Amino acid sequence: MTAASQQITKSSKAKRKAKGEFEPRIVAFCCNWCSYAGADLAGTSRMQMPPNARIIRVNCTGRINVSFILDALHQGADGVLISGCHPGDCHYTSGNLKMQGRFTLLRHLVKEAGLHPDRVHLQWASAAEGDVFTQGITAMVERIKKIGPNKVKER
Amino acid sequence: MAKRIALAQLSSCWGCDQSLVDLHLGLLDVLPKLDIVFWPTVVDYKLADLEALPNRSVHIGMVEGSCRTKEDLHLLKVMREKCKTLVAWGSCSIFGGVQGLANQWDLKELLERKFIQAETVTDPRIPDENMPGFTEHITPNPQIVECDVLLPGCPPTSENTLDALTALLTNKPFDLPTKTVCDQCPMERKEKHIKKFKRNYEGNIEAGKCILDQGYLCLGFATMGLCGAQCPSVTTPCKGCFGPTPIMSDHGAKIISALGAVAEMEPEELKGSFPDPIGSFYFTDYAASYLSKMRGKERGQEH
Ligand code: SF4
Ligand code: SF4
Ligand code: SF4
Repeated sequence: MTAASQQITKSSKAKRKAKGEFEPRIVAFCCNWCSYAGADLAGTSRMQMPPNARIIRVNCTGRINVSFILDALHQGADGVLISGCHPGDCHYTSGNLKMQGRFTLLRHLVKEAGLHPDRVHLQWASAAEGDVFTQGITAMVERIKKIGPNKVKER
Repeated sequence: MAKRIALAQLSSCWGCDQSLVDLHLGLLDVLPKLDIVFWPTVVDYKLADLEALPNRSVHIGMVEGSCRTKEDLHLLKVMREKCKTLVAWGSCSIFGGVQGLANQWDLKELLERKFIQAETVTDPRIPDENMPGFTEHITPNPQIVECDVLLPGCPPTSENTLDALTALLTNKPFDLPTKTVCDQCPMERKEKHIKKFKRNYEGNIEAGKCILDQGYLCLGFATMGLCGAQCPSVTTPCKGCFGPTPIMSDHGAKIISALGAVAEMEPEELKGSFPDPIGSFYFTDYAASYLSKMRGKERGQEH
């Protein structure tokens, strides 16, 4: 993302923070080949999106150890977004499909543990889909705002 | 000179003690080197006997079980004060144990389920007189007091406990392996293409072949290899009772990561294979998981 696009949104974030609104902290794991490139495109195209996501680039969503996601929640992230290539488009053939299986089990586990399952979300966005990526982030922020803050943080 | 040893039991099944006693005549090798100063399982010691000892006067302290009551918590802290080397003995002690699964619910729900709603209860009331009181949450002992040696297993095998004691008596380190149960397992392995997961009672597990390859959840790949793969060796899936290896941060996360790689199934079908993922993936170590620690923080985890 370019500094310019961050700049625009930062000032509006400051305004909302001043009003005491809940600003979710989202960790977004993006694969290098599709979603990170998509995020980059969104930045260079100056598309607007909320500044709540901290993007972490990984080579492939198939490389994301499930413990990274749980650790992020444990450290106080309000939500974790995983963004990868569309099924069939994985740079390494099937890493994203492996993530899809893992994600379904993870969501099931998170729900059984008494957390809102929407705190974790999986989306697909290609390198050309800067708009899909920004919509994904916006939708994630809206979902987490509805659920409320991660209670781990409050203590 | 014999080393002074104290063996304490917190909330547990006392199976770790049982496993030690199962050494039978093998006990004769270590007993002469030990001066037992506290072991209520076997000798009629009281808490006051332990409390009366000078601080750090006991060479080796073995703590079995986890803190479900406030008395457990007190005993754990006294053990820490009195012992130079404290051993978290068994998966209850290190990870919270089977009773850690209770962290899925709040204490109030647990008490009502057990003492009021249980099908066999005829006199429903929650006991509160002459009781030490319950802890709100099961916290693994190493998060409450410093533990010098960790000896997992539910229970650790008799040989594991003997090895740990022998190491302590000879001032040698007792390090946990990074290898897994699979590394110790004699079953023949093939490339994994799992199309369906079966429950253990469905069909028959074929002897000699990897149990996971046959579509049964065998957790050897995610579990510390210290038991000699004793379950799969007799055609029984590993339930993961020794917990994750020291290099894995969360047992369930490791299991889910691996299942995603070996299961050739639709995501929903994979999910349907594990109706109780917490029970299946964290048999003895849920209290040590990220998710349980999150609930613990919410509960304020006072101790
Ligand atoms: S670790 Fe297992 S065998 Fe040992 S006391 Fe706990 S439940 Fe019993
Ligand atoms: S999965 Fe189970 S049966 Fe297969 S090698 Fe590992 S421990 Fe042995
Ligand atoms: S094989 Fe697995 S379940 Fe059996 S004793 Fe070893 S670690 Fe525990």
